[in-house]
Amino acid sequence: MKRLALAVLVCVAGCANEAADGTRTYATNDAQLAVANAAFMTCSCIFVMEMTEDYCSAWVKASPAVARVGIDRQNKSVESSAFITWSAKAHWVDAKRGCVLE
Amino acid sequence: MHALIVLSLLAAPCPTRPSWPTESWPSENLEQVKLDRATEIQALEDYAFTLTGTDGERLGLRTESLLIIKGGELIYERYARGFGPTNRHLSWSVAKSVTTALTGVAVQLGALKTSDSVCDYVDARTELCPITVQHLMEFGSGMHWQEGYEHGSYQRSSVIAMLLGEGHRDMPGFVLGHQKQAEPGTRFNYSTGEAGLLSEVVRQAGLKHGLTADWFWSELFDRVGMSGVVFSGDPKGAPGGGSYVFATPRDFARFGYLYLNDGCWNGQRLLPEDWVTRSTTQSATFKAGAAETDDTSNGWMWWLNDVVEKKGERPWKDAPTDAYSAIGHWGQFVVVVPSRDVVIVRTGDDRNDGVDLNQLIPLALEVAR
Repeated sequence: MKRLALAVLVCVAGCANEAADGTRTYATNDAQLAVANAAFMTCSCIFVMEMTEDYCSAWVKASPAVARVGIDRQNKSVESSAFITWSAKAHWVDAKRGCVLE
Repeated sequence: MHALIVLSLLAAPCPTRPSWPTESWPSENLEQVKLDRATEIQALEDYAFTLTGTDGERLGLRTESLLIIKGGELIYERYARGFGPTNRHLSWSVAKSVTTALTGVAVQLGALKTSDSVCDYVDARTELCPITVQHLMEFGSGMHWQEGYEHGSYQRSSVIAMLLGEGHRDMPGFVLGHQKQAEPGTRFNYSTGEAGLLSEVVRQAGLKHGLTADWFWSELFDRVGMSGVVFSGDPKGAPGGGSYVFATPRDFARFGYLYLNDGCWNGQRLLPEDWVTRSTTQSATFKAGAAETDDTSNGWMWWLNDVVEKKGERPWKDAPTDAYSAIGHWGQFVVVVPSRDVVIVRTGDDRNDGVDLNQLIPLALEVAR
């Protein structure tokens, strides 16, 4: 229930599309951005920077800390999700391009 | 034939060096410098490597590597927080300086002119066609962009939207989807999007010229020994030239060394004559559109140590006037000090504080004395 309430709050904050001061407001909400960040940064940290999972977990941490991360070392990819709704995946392309957010 | 001889005599000669660090950095004096400069090294490390609070609190300066190159030799090197010489670091905006270097390489190869329109290389609305390569190098496209990071509203950040949100599958297209707000060259607006767009323009120019898909490596990185560079981007293959270069500190030092040597490497000119000078001189767009509002002046995506009108003094007043730096989020630096023949590389993970170059450069130069 708590998670659902947080998800609703995140969406209300993130889905708002008003820019009273004339600046542009982008549509992607905080939860989706958080899972995208977690997927790309973890993938890069593990497979490009070649750092430990402990380091990467701390390095990637962002607010809101809602992303759950799964690392697939065999396929060199990282999936992340938050609640039931939001998810993202990044995979390692090659030694020159590193990871890409799908 | 005579014309060729005259031209070659007029061309600025490349600096000569006893050796070039393409394979590895000479470091014979590393231990001796530790002994001879123990006091100076202590002062440098007290500044750069003193952690504040627990690691999880993300406070203070969190240096992950610090290197000093003097006279083409690695004279100081220290790593921390689990990093070693072979780990790549995320450059963040140091990538912007790498992108203008690649632009220079493309110009040198005849694949591109700085006066070329973006429309020559990417699909853009007609009203954006007056934007040139040079405008992009000077953050002067005139397109709307809200540079912002994790401390503000994520929905107000064009950068976050491009890298992680609605723009991440087509970064150049996302940038070009923004409104035109000013005539090109009249307004300086620091933009990760503009640097990313530039990297795609440059990549496409190389492809159009017949270069291979990996020409960033074959024409620049491999030539200076930076073969391990990783340049990430969007799923369509456009490079994230505003932020996504991953390299080891020794490779970032090679990048600085290329600039220290006027864009030459081992007798070969990789960047056009005057490219380094122009890159490290306050740009026309900055002069026209930011000198009264910004603290630190910018050349072609390099930060400079000259007097900015607004501040009335140099940003790093205790450092040599000719120092310039590539600077990235969370404390990434490639500093070049030509008058001291020095390159300083610092990578880190500073989340609530930042390295003050006015302290770091003088402390490092004491070690390199």
